[in-house]
Amino acid sequence: MASEDEVSLLVIVVDVNPIWWGQQAQREPEFNLSKCLDAVMVMANSHLVMTRTNKLAIIASHCQESHFLYPNKHWKAGDVAGDEVSSGSGDGKYELLSVANDLVAEEIRNLMARTQVKGHQTDTLLAGSLAKALCYIHRVSKELEAGQDMKSRILVSSWFPFSSAVYFCIIFVQMSMGIFGLIIYYILQVVKAAEDCALQYMNFMNVIFAAQKQNILIDACVLDSDSGLLQQACDITGGLYLKIPQKTALAQYLLWVFLPDADQRSQLVLPPSVHVDYRAACFCHRNLIEIGYVCSVCLSIFCNFSPICTTCETAFKIPLPQMMKPKKKKLKTAN
Amino acid sequence: MFNVDRRLKFPSALILCLHYPACLLVMAALSEEVLLVVKRVRQRKQDGTLYLMTERIAWGPEGKDRFTVSHLYADIRCQKISPDGKSKIQLQLVLHTGESTTFHFANESTALKDRDAAKDLLQQLLPKFKKKANKQLEEKNKMLQEDPVLFQLYKDLVVSQVISAEEFWASRLKLSSVEHSLSNNSKQEVGISAAFLADIRPQTDGCNGLKYNLTSDIIESIFKTYPAVKQKYAENVPHNLTEKEFWTRFFQSHYFHRDRINTGQQDIFSECAKQDEKGLKSMVVQGVKNPMVDLLSLEDKTLDEGYGSLTVGPNSSKTVKENSNSAIIKRFNHHSAMVLAAGLRKVDAPSDQASETSSTDGNSRDSDFFQPPIKKVKLQEAIEYEDLQNGSGPKTIALNLKKSDRYSHGPVPLQSHHYSTSQDIINSVSCIQEEISCYKPCLTRVMPSSAASSAITALSPGGLLMQAGTQQAVSQLVPTDVQSELKHLYTAAGELLRHFWSCFPVNTPFLEEKVVKMRSNLERFQSTKLRPFQEKIQREYLSTNLTSHLDEMIQAAYNKFHAWQTRRMARKT
Repeated sequence: MASEDEVSLLVIVVDVNPIWWGQQAQREPEFNLSKCLDAVMVMANSHLVMTRTNKLAIIASHCQESHFLYPNKHWKAGDVAGDEVSSGSGDGKYELLSVANDLVAEEIRNLMARTQVKGHQTDTLLAGSLAKALCYIHRVSKELEAGQDMKSRILVSSWFPFSSAVYFCIIFVQMSMGIFGLIIYYILQVVKAAEDCALQYMNFMNVIFAAQKQNILIDACVLDSDSGLLQQACDITGGLYLKIPQKTALAQYLLWVFLPDADQRSQLVLPPSVHVDYRAACFCHRNLIEIGYVCSVCLSIFCNFSPICTTCETAFKIPLPQMMKPKKKKLKTAN
Repeated sequence: MFNVDRRLKFPSALILCLHYPACLLVMAALSEEVLLVVKRVRQRKQDGTLYLMTERIAWGPEGKDRFTVSHLYADIRCQKISPDGKSKIQLQLVLHTGESTTFHFANESTALKDRDAAKDLLQQLLPKFKKKANKQLEEKNKMLQEDPVLFQLYKDLVVSQVISAEEFWASRLKLSSVEHSLSNNSKQEVGISAAFLADIRPQTDGCNGLKYNLTSDIIESIFKTYPAVKQKYAENVPHNLTEKEFWTRFFQSHYFHRDRINTGQQDIFSECAKQDEKGLKSMVVQGVKNPMVDLLSLEDKTLDEGYGSLTVGPNSSKTVKENSNSAIIKRFNHHSAMVLAAGLRKVDAPSDQASETSSTDGNSRDSDFFQPPIKKVKLQEAIEYEDLQNGSGPKTIALNLKKSDRYSHGPVPLQSHHYSTSQDIINSVSCIQEEISCYKPCLTRVMPSSAASSAITALSPGGLLMQAGTQQAVSQLVPTDVQSELKHLYTAAGELLRHFWSCFPVNTPFLEEKVVKMRSNLERFQSTKLRPFQEKIQREYLSTNLTSHLDEMIQAAYNKFHAWQTRRMARKT
């Protein structure tokens, strides 16, 4: 039972890469982007309903941009103009929910409408979306009234066919307004569909560490294939990583696993944490290795000994007949 | 007559021949110098000879060329002699372990002399070795106190007789002695409290006398500060005066008391007083080397009439009171200077030439050579600030990276991407656009109930997704006392196994013995420690097999031993 002063902000990052959702729609018509968005909306509505002070943001992660589906720039929470609320208010729903849903739908329609096909940009800009989410959380935390706590998390929902797909991030930020101070819990839920993009690796890692510093949880709901980067993200920030066996039941998984916030999770029996593979990849072949050779000058990792480091061109002495002991690099668990 | 003489001489010569070869033999074995030989010393009612060597004292029975009794000086705690009046002249050695050995000097004519000679020699030798033994013991105690894990290991292994104490300390003391010697050199020396003389508070002992309590610390401080007194002590004690008398005279002398008016008596300390005066004068003459400090400007300026200042000239006559005041002040200054000098005077020759403090001790004369450099250094220090200079740091070599984009590639193996043709891409995009253009959220039909219930099943305990969680950490299933006992077992077993495995490859007979011994130790450990623990956890129904790894390790050691033994047997046959 959160008190009046606790604010919880959830930011959901949804991967809406059209190329892959399009391919997915052709492969499995029963689960398409619309269904996914429906599930996300159920999740978002549930979150808003849990506590009056809960806040929400939804970011669509596209291959060309990261766009805020909710809240809209031009829309303020209290501003419920009668004309815009059309169908939603008809069923007596909590107005905030209907407004939110309509907004999201409109935004995604606009987003898809202005998609332009560009062949080289097929990867979802997940790192950028996460960065935007972090910035949003930071901004909201500054706008809180004195005496308000905020907890936030990011939910990344993604599914992973063989290459980049839709990252569906649900960022759940619970803002709790505490009487005695400002506690901000950030939870980013990332719903990921696409492959780990090699190009975004550095940015992604920076985002993860920034989230860790800010005590923002990153949860990940992976629809198709496992993503090592998201596993690391969840492990480092303390969130949950889940790979869903059944895509059609996405809403159920979201509500069961990702709706409770960090405090409540300790009381619940949730899927246990997965074993994270923290192995490094060698610079020459990009194989994941456990034991390798590290250049002492530039710290680049190789799987075989070579007398000259190819990155910094330092010459190393040829070892004596007894092979130089390979420096052990056990990177199994970095906890 | 001649024959008789020869005959008389022969037995003694024979005895000598018998003894010294034995001695030589033993010497050859021990390669130690014999310092004293005392014949006709009885031990346990047996006649024999007592030998005092550089590191041990030994006694061998007559006629044999071996020592039956041999003690290292380091093992001897103290020696005792029988009181002078007794008929039996004896010397007893008490060892650290508590046992004692008694030697009875049975040579009628020279017994007392022999005994005293032995006693004196022992008195000189024992202190040298005493420190070493104590130090080792102290070290061991310290190590045990500092490291509770080590202490526990010691208790588990040595106290319960699994391995002997020597084996336990064999590998450990070597390391620590090296560190200890290093740390000893860099240990800071304790300075001298300036109030050490005042701490000797005299207590009245009831009848007009004063009792001064002198501890060895205070005596050391006095010697360090006033080397003149130390010299007097060395000269007079123990030849002329006993220690007690020396200190009594010291405190009685006017040297110690306030009014240092030299009475010129046969006070042994009058010389000291004169030396101090000389020292003080030379100190004043040398002055302070620091150009920043100008002591001469600190003069008494008293107020004159009309509130001007009046500097008292150095030649003005002083009253008697002023004289005694100045005497006290002089003594205070001298005392402080000596305390400082003693604290700064290092044991080795002062090697830092730039130190100005070598001149504060009035007795050192070699500081005059170093005046100019010191002044320059001081001036330099006062002018420059390190922080404000753009100091050039150490020369570095720039890092030259050719392919820096490698770093930005994450640990993602290069897989063959699923390449889609541009037609595919266009198709997908258009498909999606179509779909979303007419998107309306239909939140009442998000998923079929069957899907939802199967998802719930998967998420419930025991479901598909919850499999890993059932492997509860062992630490939660096992009580903490069992855990700690297991940890102790592991450390003890580790220690034993380390000793065992370090014996391989077995090259020397010593290692062979050790291997056999270690195997028996392991067996003993298993039976005395491991089995009861296993039975205990079985009784408590702890189903997890906690000790299987320990058993494996010990079994591996047994297998290795067995293999080695069979190989050795095969080699022998």
